[in-house]
Amino acid sequence: MDIYIGIDVGSVSTNVVAMDQNDHIIFKEYTRTNGQPLESVKKGLKLLEEDLKRIFYTVKGVGTTGSGRQLAGILVGADIVKNEITAHATATVNFHPTVNTILEIGGQDSKIIIIQDKMVVDFAMNTVCAAGTGSFLDHQSERLGVPIQDFGGLALTAKKDVRIAGRCTVFAESDMIAKQQYGFSKAEIIKGLCDALVRNYINNLGRGKALKAPYVFQGGVAANKGIKAAFERELGCEIIIPKYYNVMGAIGAAILAKEYIEVSGEETKFRGFGAAELAFKPRSFECEDCANCCEVIKVELNGKTVAIWGDKCGKWANSVTG
Amino acid sequence: MRIGLPRALLYHYYYPLWKSLFEQLGVEIVISDITSKQLVQEGVKVTVPEICLPIKIFNGHIINLLSKEVDYIFIPRFIGVESGKWFCPKFIGLPELADYTIDGVKSKILTVDIQGKKESTCEWTNYRPLCEALQVTPKELKKALKTAERVWQHFRDCCKQGFTIEEAEKMCSEDMRGSERTAHHTHDITLGVLGYVYNVYDPFVSMDIIKKLHGMNVRVITFEMLDEKRIHEKFKRKSKNLYWTFTDKIYGAAVELMENHQIDGLIHITAFGCGPDSIVGKMMELDSEKFKKPFMTIRVDEHTGESHLLTRIEAFVDMIKRQKISERRRELA
Ligand code: SF4
Ligand code: SF4
Repeated sequence: MDIYIGIDVGSVSTNVVAMDQNDHIIFKEYTRTNGQPLESVKKGLKLLEEDLKRIFYTVKGVGTTGSGRQLAGILVGADIVKNEITAHATATVNFHPTVNTILEIGGQDSKIIIIQDKMVVDFAMNTVCAAGTGSFLDHQSERLGVPIQDFGGLALTAKKDVRIAGRCTVFAESDMIAKQQYGFSKAEIIKGLCDALVRNYINNLGRGKALKAPYVFQGGVAANKGIKAAFERELGCEIIIPKYYNVMGAIGAAILAKEYIEVSGEETKFRGFGAAELAFKPRSFECEDCANCCEVIKVELNGKTVAIWGDKCGKWANSVTG
Repeated sequence: MRIGLPRALLYHYYYPLWKSLFEQLGVEIVISDITSKQLVQEGVKVTVPEICLPIKIFNGHIINLLSKEVDYIFIPRFIGVESGKWFCPKFIGLPELADYTIDGVKSKILTVDIQGKKESTCEWTNYRPLCEALQVTPKELKKALKTAERVWQHFRDCCKQGFTIEEAEKMCSEDMRGSERTAHHTHDITLGVLGYVYNVYDPFVSMDIIKKLHGMNVRVITFEMLDEKRIHEKFKRKSKNLYWTFTDKIYGAAVELMENHQIDGLIHITAFGCGPDSIVGKMMELDSEKFKKPFMTIRVDEHTGESHLLTRIEAFVDMIKRQKISERRRELA
């Protein structure tokens, strides 16, 4: 069997998927990045290797995406390294060809992608404001003492509406405490929080965009039934949650790798599963050669520098040969 | 005598002019360092927080020049270079702004009022105060201005052939003729990059967006590469006239590029805290919907991360390239 591997390294989660030549997903793994992108990629690859022992296979291509895409790309020997917007859109269109709007909410960031005839025509990203992301919910679940897994289900049982000011996490928090004191139930507060997050998301990312059904909602937060319901109330129609909602970026990377290999006819640059054992050493240092004080990231393999980035002037990046 | 030129604001547009002018008048010019994180921080520290980022950066450059033992720092007051339009109020109050913000600069400020009808600013009355400060006669000044104006026109002509400001400056200083070189390499798509010269050409603010785009095989068109006369025609047809000279130029360029079928999309670069851009940015956004041109705004502040910016640019370029490929496929089918 020919397989394609997709890896999505984000600040919160690292996802690895394997796909066969017919775009069927044969493996998926969602792990926490915990600030160690390389370790989590290695772990994901190990699990994949174990899993693949049950079949005969050849790895034909590998793609990486997410904020750690460059680093992961070097580690595994990726054929393509793509930004998150392109990767997510590619995966969604593959499963839901008629999609017009992709709503994506992850742990630390969120995006909206507008699609027409399977093509990205507009997008917006938010990485600054936590009030439109999963970390907002994580935070409030801790405060309320309700595990995040139960959050969505509980929201659906609310009997009354309560409006919580959700412009920013700080306001939301104080408003939430106030509303609790007024005697609203936990379920109602949670529903209010879901509505606040969705309002925020639509105001920040959807502003000035033509939002049209069909909507596909993906990213880690798509598991939350309360948020899904809040979106449906806000947008006035049904929202689709794809089967692999939390690994769509990785699937997109795999599809893009496959496309690339098919078009170019090249052999994959995949280093093999042994790569997980290779002693990659990433380190960062502050360059002091000029007033920019760049945070330069340098990756070494067996004492040899294989990649450098982060320098504004390019003098470090250019020093790496082949 | 040593005169400092802050590498900020309209420096990027008028440098060839000022260089020629001052050198003819026997002055040594000292340019502040290229904008760096540290330089920006120095500026941010002393400037009122509410003001736009380019002014904070400008102040950083003044501080930088103070350490370079200059006799004067040239801070012109730009009021107007065409009738019926003015500069953003921050330019009109620039000498005072620097004076009240930065200790020890007052005695070094060398200023002139730029208020006339020529974009080259070369009416001699504009620069008359230089006679006293530099001990030159009006005749000498007039003569130097004439030459400087020619140099600057040559620089502008190079820009209009499609060269970036950096390339055009180099061509002028090396005295290469534009026709000897061509501005364009191969490219997959063409994007308009709109924004003030001090945003687009400042490596800190724009994070070298033009170089990044060139690296992605994108041809870049900026407002100063366009023919002003044609833009002027556009002005008459625009839905709205803007009072600020450069804001108006950028909007004119936007309208021109939106109608041009060779342009695949537009990127607007704006700095945090800019008043005029909050208006023109919205107007461009509305127009882009009307003309169905992909449009993206990049708003930069002193904390903007490079990787986030790169992701957005990459995604924007990818989106347009992939659309083009599928269009071509459809045409073939
Ligand atoms: S990497 Fe280049 S730009 Fe960055 S601090 Fe060092 S010399 Fe300066
Ligand atoms: S036009 Fe905008 S960015 Fe330029 S000086 Fe005025 S407020 Fe600042």
